[in-house]
Amino acid sequence: MAREKRHFVCVICPIGCEVDVIHDGSRIISMEGNKCKKSEEFVRQELIEPMRILTTTLRIQGARWPVIPVRTDKSVPKRLFPDIMKKLRRIDLQSPVGMLDVVVKDIAGTGANIIATRTMTHE
Amino acid sequence: MEADVAVIGSGPAGLTAAIHAHRAGAKNILLIEREEELGGILKQCIHNGFGLEQFKQDYTGPEYAERLITELEKTDVQIHLNTLVTDISSERVITAVSPEHGVLEIRAKSIVLAMGCRERARGSIGIPGTRPAGIFTAGVAQRFVNIDGYLPGKDVVILGSGDIGLIMARRLTLEGAKVKGVYEIMDYPGGLKRNIVQCLNDFDIPLHLSHTVTEIRGKERVEGVVVSKVDDKLHPIKGSEQSIKCDTLLLSVGLIPENELSKKAGVKLSTATTGPVTTETMGSSVSGIFSCGNVSTVFDLVDYVAQTGVTAGANAAEYALGGLRNGGKSVEVVPGENVRLLFPQRYSFKDDLILFIRAAEPIEKPVIIEVSPPEFKIKRPYARPNEMLRVKVPKGKLTDVAKSIKVSIRES
Repeated sequence: MAREKRHFVCVICPIGCEVDVIHDGSRIISMEGNKCKKSEEFVRQELIEPMRILTTTLRIQGARWPVIPVRTDKSVPKRLFPDIMKKLRRIDLQSPVGMLDVVVKDIAGTGANIIATRTMTHE
Repeated sequence: MEADVAVIGSGPAGLTAAIHAHRAGAKNILLIEREEELGGILKQCIHNGFGLEQFKQDYTGPEYAERLITELEKTDVQIHLNTLVTDISSERVITAVSPEHGVLEIRAKSIVLAMGCRERARGSIGIPGTRPAGIFTAGVAQRFVNIDGYLPGKDVVILGSGDIGLIMARRLTLEGAKVKGVYEIMDYPGGLKRNIVQCLNDFDIPLHLSHTVTEIRGKERVEGVVVSKVDDKLHPIKGSEQSIKCDTLLLSVGLIPENELSKKAGVKLSTATTGPVTTETMGSSVSGIFSCGNVSTVFDLVDYVAQTGVTAGANAAEYALGGLRNGGKSVEVVPGENVRLLFPQRYSFKDDLILFIRAAEPIEKPVIIEVSPPEFKIKRPYARPNEMLRVKVPKGKLTDVAKSIKVSIRES
């Protein structure tokens, strides 16, 4: 593959470094604009497969609220978001659920679990 | 009822203030919350990106809140839920109502105001047209989706590119709604750049700068909006109107510090921030009343909110214990070149001066922030109105300052 120049905004932290990278499909030739190592890793990963934490809610029964906030316990491929959301729509939890409890294992074959991001006890 | 320190509001500012008032040695601390749970707006901010600076962790809003709540529950801070403060006097008498206790009167040695902010709504931006259902502020829509489990609409237009609007563009898209576009009247986005990337670009949602909604259509329910381009004076350009079908319009057009109680207490408010005029101790113009978080000025990051909470809590405790008195020598901190907003507004020579600065105009090249006197200069790679700058001026450099301190942002 010929050399390609790409521009990224790092989303790891609120600084949002603007990174210019030149790569040839198999290796990175140059990178500038990143203020830290994390930003470099982010761009490296963006070139291969953009990964993100997915945050959403699940239905829950017998709790104070009808839904409970959850997230993936690690980054998952961004392109799988619609698929994951579709699978999560069928799920109904029962209270009580504790913060960081695993509520769905290995979602959509990603190896990531869905974990609760708050405690929700009975009404 | 008596209290050493009474904290009003249990969002990130109030929770942090209560914890730090306890750590600073105050004994009888009350935390007053009008809702049925602690945590404030964090409870509905289910996205991640909280606490990166403060805890070096990438928390969601509810996780961040629960971490603070767990810390708080280890203390003997008394928590009053479902309790609405209706009045505060300048003598620090708080009147509150709750279903459990009826009317409460609390005499506090010191008070921390942490009521946060509220959203600007349609009325404050004056969009012509009909008044159908389907117009929500972004934060209200966020509450519907993330706490009450309702989807507010299917075809959505978002006016304003504040962070909550951007976050909701992504959230509604994930939940199956079609977000047709985000329209921003300014020629730069309102929210953080990372939110433009991960909330709009990631989902191919278009952002239209220099555009605004000039008409809302529909009788019972929103049926569509008209958007127009604006000129450099922000006036809609005739002939640029474009009609968009939608059933929902979200407004993400700014936040206003909520200071009705501050006014009742006689606290002097700043015309720039609309929050209390405070010193670096977070002390207001009324002796023994402190404020922190978004009631002071609208911050970009929860970490900044918490930082002001730490300061307010510790100083409110010190005041209650008799060690700190307001009304000593203080000088004004005034905005200079290219500074739209500055916090705090006064310096009282007690601690380091931590300044929060919002630029008036974007400068996309290295800048020097100048604090004068004491001719203190610090470099930053850029200055953008949508990204608050934070600068710490050590106390030692400020001892000889006699008059006002001016803060400017210049191209370096």
